[in-house]
Amino acid sequence: MSHAIKKMFCAVALLVIAGCDGGQSAFSGLGPVSSRITLLIWIMFIGAALITALICVLTLISIAGPANWRHKLTGKKSIILGGIVFPVVTLTALLIYGFLVLKAGGTLVQAENPVHISVVGEQWWWRIIYRHDDGQTTESANELRIPTGRPIKIELSTADVIHSFWIPAYAGKVDMIPGRINTLHFMADKPGIVTGQCAEYCGGAHALMSFYTVAMTPSDYDAWLAKERANAKPAIDNQGEQLFLSSGCGGCHTVRGTQADGRIGPDLTHAGSRLSLGAGILPNTTEGFAKWISQHQTIKPENLMPPFDIFSESELQSLSVYLNSLE
Amino acid sequence: MAEPVRSRLRKLLPWAFGLFVAGIVLVLTIAYSGIYSVAASAGHPDWLDWFFALGKRRSVIVNSMTIDAPVLDLAELVPLGAAHFQGGCATCHRTPGQALNPVYDQMLPPPPDLKTHAPMWTREQLFWIVRHGIQFTGMPAWSGQDRDDEVWAVVAFLEVLPLMEAGDYRQYARGHSEAQNYSIREIVSEGKTKINLTACNRCHDTDDAPPMSPYVPRIGGQNKAYLKRALREYHSDLRQSGFMEPIAAELDDEHINLLADYYASLTVSLGNPARNPSTPKLEPGRQLAEQGDRSRKIPACLSCHGANKRPDYPRLDGQSEQYLRQQLQLLQRGGRTKTPHGAIMTTIAKRLTEQQAEAAAVFFASQPSAEQVGHKAGEGLRQ
Repeated sequence: MSHAIKKMFCAVALLVIAGCDGGQSAFSGLGPVSSRITLLIWIMFIGAALITALICVLTLISIAGPANWRHKLTGKKSIILGGIVFPVVTLTALLIYGFLVLKAGGTLVQAENPVHISVVGEQWWWRIIYRHDDGQTTESANELRIPTGRPIKIELSTADVIHSFWIPAYAGKVDMIPGRINTLHFMADKPGIVTGQCAEYCGGAHALMSFYTVAMTPSDYDAWLAKERANAKPAIDNQGEQLFLSSGCGGCHTVRGTQADGRIGPDLTHAGSRLSLGAGILPNTTEGFAKWISQHQTIKPENLMPPFDIFSESELQSLSVYLNSLE
Repeated sequence: MAEPVRSRLRKLLPWAFGLFVAGIVLVLTIAYSGIYSVAASAGHPDWLDWFFALGKRRSVIVNSMTIDAPVLDLAELVPLGAAHFQGGCATCHRTPGQALNPVYDQMLPPPPDLKTHAPMWTREQLFWIVRHGIQFTGMPAWSGQDRDDEVWAVVAFLEVLPLMEAGDYRQYARGHSEAQNYSIREIVSEGKTKINLTACNRCHDTDDAPPMSPYVPRIGGQNKAYLKRALREYHSDLRQSGFMEPIAAELDDEHINLLADYYASLTVSLGNPARNPSTPKLEPGRQLAEQGDRSRKIPACLSCHGANKRPDYPRLDGQSEQYLRQQLQLLQRGGRTKTPHGAIMTTIAKRLTEQQAEAAAVFFASQPSAEQVGHKAGEGLRQ
């Protein structure tokens, strides 16, 4: 019995530790905003540990220490110093430091020419809209791409219920609230891939509502954005495109450059170039697409796409090849 | 005073128990010995007949108490009920002007002649009997699950039946079918004397006439792959309908292919029996069909039901408002989830409000079908 508990404890501890490492961790601190938060966390944690140790020692002394030490502890002087002065000084310092950390985002808020992106939370995926300098927009989904070293300004809203947008490696979580637009500012220091997650329970498939964030060098980003902005290339596999259009997929999904102009589900214009399918659920491969189309209600239960169990093996194959070719 | 009564009762208890056991033993002995004849030819003694009739009558009355009858549009429903009656019920219950096959007259209890029996029941009671059937009488329950809408059509017919003469009945029951004019060759070699169950044009459209009832879909000019799929789904009990399943059950793949070929190639008939579309709903309907409703996550109807779509998706243009509304309601209450195509549409249909479903039905009913536009619009035949 106790062995089982020990085993379970080990498993949980391993999971917790694993959670602190890698793409979806508040300890990664990959940008100025999150690294300051991380520093604050460490200061708080280490400070709290030291204070706890000190209290333990004082308690021990007051129970079993020499008589004159115990007498000193009960003196008026130690009560004023330890009970009033120390907390006031420590907490004031922390408060001021906390304000400074908050203000770190402030410099980003005032930064000129930020990268402007809108993210709309939807049950259970992310609509991502890149806003160009000329006022035009480019829509994508479930993958955020940002340049390094430039301030990022993200406008957060929701199409249905409350969601919360959280990329632990870059910034704190910010809620997406119906009828409001919240703004989040952050910056990425170096290129890399991290994950984000919806951090506010939003219904059935909430746990399966995540996304990848890809930080790229500014020149890579500009090249990527130009490609993302362009329409889908004419399909090589005409059969797949034909199936996509005739089966009604275009009623909900857009593939720019074709007749498909639905705005209910994710924009699929460049779906094949993304890292994942189904909002961070499946690898983006031909097999992944086939699996999603034929089994999405099992893979991501309750998601709002109707079940499409009507395709033959070969139809499923050409449809998947087509979607994967949308790079 | 109370004490002696109680002790006397206590003494009676073993006797009462003994009698009860003896009764059960007697009944089992009679059943096992085979003394009682279950022969249909033997009939029931009068007292047993009276007892069964009492139980049946009370059961129908009590069980149908919670049913709320809808308003029945007799003109629209009677032809449909009559055609089904001819195919499904007439064998046992006889039809006006035609003698009952003696085989069925020998059933016990004999199936009642509904011309005289139907008026004995209320509308709700007739519904309950047709919907659920009656034990130990040979009366089956309705074969389409969750298709109460179809049962009401039969009820509408049963209410009119007592007033029908042989000629009226024949006209309703055969629809467009020319069953009574079988050649002598057909009678000799195929044995056709009656209106056949699988005669599609009893209900459906022909090249020069619309369906017999607006609750019957137009199938002339419909997509071939869709027609095949629908018949296969009815055949294998995946799509529910007390009207179509008995018919499709008698068709094999070869028949299904032939029928789908035939109807797909049929030129669409003119003269819509549907009421004129109520115009205030037409615009919302058009909007829904062309653009959908993003706030309710409803895609445009035409993204699946428009031109150049999968041939196993049905075309809706030119179907009647009643049929479309009925199918949307059926989808909304989850009556078509057993087929993959039905499951897709169920997801969408459940997002429609009642008004949206109605508007969509009105819009598609107002649309000329493609053939009409292609071949006849120029001749000014469309209003």
